[in-house]
Amino acid sequence: MKRSTVFWWLERLALVLVCIIALFPIVWMFMTAFKSGRDAYDLSLFFKPTFDNFLTVFRPPWNLGSMLWNSIVVATLTVVIAVPAAALAAYAFSRFHFHAKKSMFFAVIATQFIPATVIVLPFFLMFRNLGLLDTRTALVVVNLAIVTPFVIWMIKGFIDAIPVDSEEAAMMDGASRLRVIRDIVLPMAAPGILTSAIFCFILTWNEFLFALILTRREALTLPVGLVSFRTERGDLWELMSAAGVMITVPIFIMAILIQKHFTRGMTAGAIK
Amino acid sequence: MSAVELKSVTKRYGDFLAISEQSLSIHDGEFLVLLGPSGCGKTTMMRMIAGLEEITGGDLLIAGERANDKPPKDRDIAMVFQNYGLYPHMTVADNIGYPLKLRGVSRANRTEMIEAVAQKVELTPYLKRRPAELSGGQRQRVALARAIIRRPKLFLMDEPLSNLDAKLRVTMRTEIKHLHHELKVTTVYVTHDQMEAMTLANRIAVLNKGVIVQLDTPEKIYSEPADLFVAEFIGSPSMNLIPGRIAGGVFEGQGVRIPGIDHAGRDDVVLGVRPEDLSLSPSGDAHISAPLYAVELTGESTLVTVRFEKTNICARGPADFRAEIDDTISMNARIDRLHLFDGASGKRLRR
Amino acid sequence: MRDRYLKYSLLLPAFVIVMATTFYPLAYSFVTSLREWKLARHRTPQGFVGLQNYAQAFSDETFLEALATTAIFVVASVVLTVVLSVLLALLLRRTGRLHTFTRIIIILPFAMSPALIGVSYRFMFNPEFGVLAKGIGALVPALDGVAWLATPTLAMTVLVLTDVWHWTPYMTFLCLGGLASIPRSTEEAAQIDGASSLRVFFDILLPQMRNVVLVVAVLKTIFALKMFDQVVTLTGGGPGRSTETLAYFVFNIGFKWYDMGYASALAYILTGIMMIVSIWYVRLLLADRKMATA
Repeated sequence: MKRSTVFWWLERLALVLVCIIALFPIVWMFMTAFKSGRDAYDLSLFFKPTFDNFLTVFRPPWNLGSMLWNSIVVATLTVVIAVPAAALAAYAFSRFHFHAKKSMFFAVIATQFIPATVIVLPFFLMFRNLGLLDTRTALVVVNLAIVTPFVIWMIKGFIDAIPVDSEEAAMMDGASRLRVIRDIVLPMAAPGILTSAIFCFILTWNEFLFALILTRREALTLPVGLVSFRTERGDLWELMSAAGVMITVPIFIMAILIQKHFTRGMTAGAIK
Repeated sequence: MSAVELKSVTKRYGDFLAISEQSLSIHDGEFLVLLGPSGCGKTTMMRMIAGLEEITGGDLLIAGERANDKPPKDRDIAMVFQNYGLYPHMTVADNIGYPLKLRGVSRANRTEMIEAVAQKVELTPYLKRRPAELSGGQRQRVALARAIIRRPKLFLMDEPLSNLDAKLRVTMRTEIKHLHHELKVTTVYVTHDQMEAMTLANRIAVLNKGVIVQLDTPEKIYSEPADLFVAEFIGSPSMNLIPGRIAGGVFEGQGVRIPGIDHAGRDDVVLGVRPEDLSLSPSGDAHISAPLYAVELTGESTLVTVRFEKTNICARGPADFRAEIDDTISMNARIDRLHLFDGASGKRLRR
Repeated sequence: MRDRYLKYSLLLPAFVIVMATTFYPLAYSFVTSLREWKLARHRTPQGFVGLQNYAQAFSDETFLEALATTAIFVVASVVLTVVLSVLLALLLRRTGRLHTFTRIIIILPFAMSPALIGVSYRFMFNPEFGVLAKGIGALVPALDGVAWLATPTLAMTVLVLTDVWHWTPYMTFLCLGGLASIPRSTEEAAQIDGASSLRVFFDILLPQMRNVVLVVAVLKTIFALKMFDQVVTLTGGGPGRSTETLAYFVFNIGFKWYDMGYASALAYILTGIMMIVSIWYVRLLLADRKMATA
């Protein structure tokens, strides 16, 4: 349908505006990360870029390197544990009939709607007693709590979308149920599972509350590390921005890689 | 010993009774069609034979052995699905060979058998392609190839042609018929298309609301439908059904008067007569006299429909038939080809 | 059938994880909420005090203040997000290079750590060198030089802004999904009947999006109630207590004052609120499914 030229230009203007709004804070942060101490407080658009900030944050006393490593380890371990367990459960929820299916599923989803503060208190006390405070293990356990139900939900959405026909055909052809999962379902659900895994990674990577409460020095992750840039002298924005860049670049790369499936993943199971 | 036997089989979904104590005996090597409208239970029945649905009550015997609890993979049955059920991530060759792979057939043997079967269904140039690159008809043939490659005891086909366009359907129908003649494997075929049933079946089981209403050869089903439902379902265009009464050897209904009926007097009957058993008479004293409602040219004949009050009656007339709407048309019925049904129960009345 | 064992064993790993990591702490938390336990002074809990902690909450002025603050935040961010998501979805649903590009770009605010968003906005709204503070100040003289994060209403505004910026993309995708499931033919029929674009939106699209919009609103409410990270990094609850939402309030009670019993009770109150909202959400989901199959 032909629309008038005015509308067409307005539409493009709106789209550009949206992009600017979405990108501006990110771009500004990236720019600040490359500015020297003075330029950062200068609002200048043109400046001499420098890598100094990045070098500084990896040195003591900030030691971003160890925080980066912690984030990588915690996020990876969480994904490696949560995704396989969730995929199996998602398949079971999708294909099998359970007596209490609705309430079981509700229980799974309901965990998403529990505020973290409810869970963190007992975890704090429990880890304190076990001497697990300020460890990566504690963070993995706690992140599993947040992430597992969500991943089950997402993967189930993807598996629901796979027609059962191919599975039934395989069963007729002579495959046992486990064989069917291995040969047929997993390959077909692979993009969905990958998307869910990356989602899981992002959630854990960005996780703040638990890391804030459960870590002191050793197991600090990147988001909590941000807060350590507040000094009595004031906030060191250019360093914070450099840390911010470290936090976001891996995530952005991953998000862009799976962006095609992202939209389906984000909404899979949410409405239908 | 029959190839498959259903003994008082029942299927219940929660409170809903889908199939109630139905029995069916399928002969070795026969082509049996389960025919009926949507929701009649035909697919459910087939899926119970396949092992994809649990049997709530009764017994299923395959080659004389009770098979209720056997998983599908142990029943030696091959199935062709309505939506083909192909494996989208595998090539055509791998799709066809999958049943053999599951059974541990060596790669070399597999390739040989795949090529043989592919030749039979004319898929040889497509072996390296993925299902997504094939047309509907080609995908259908992949599903068929996958089914026949293992020479199972039983074929199940769940409306395999319903997703194809009309012309392709006719072609594939002939192919399936020929394949059955060649392989001689017992086949159970589900469809709602009565034409497919008539052309393919050795016997047809007509189902309505979970009950087998008639189990007979196509000829018998066509010439002696067991009740109103079967009478109306089989035949295109459908049999004309005219309610009325019989008194003194004469049938009287709306705009219809047919003498010479060899039946006792009865108040509530339905007369059935197929369009091809009605002939157009020039005028005057005929069995049926009513205003013309519609004329449809089919190419080799004309469908002439008259309407009296609320009832339509359709006759197959000559291709050169011409008349104006609302003209009075007269028709005569072949007395020996009339069907009588009880008005209340719908069952066929014996002469 | 034989599948019976399999289906439960498939569930088992996930079940164990969820049980251990969610249900156990939930139970523990509940028990703690019934006790008196000030961690700073005693390593172990003191005796049971029944529902005293809960009662204390409702007579605690700061709690009620936090409740009010949360309400303001939730309403503001939900309304803004819902409206913006619907509009954005309408804008983005057509095909086109710029449209596709924008759809990719808006994923980034969602992928960004909320804590980092708080930090970033704190920087940009700094009255001396914050680019947005200066920029807005240049356009709106009344707001020139104002200390954004030191003024209660403005601080709340920025807080809401960070939340809306973060969540609108996700909600937009939900709306896009909802729009996509409306058959084109209804729209086209309306256009042929002579409806203008505005009419098509209000008469045809919006009613059919009703369920999606409801789902978006409820989901956003739940996420807004959970919101925590930005309060820490953007405002620290300030100025004063003006941006102290319930989640932050509970955090303070538990980890600044270490009053475990009271904090647990408060956490449960917050949970109760969220449970009510989430039950509503699940009902919506199930009702929608019935409508879809009708």
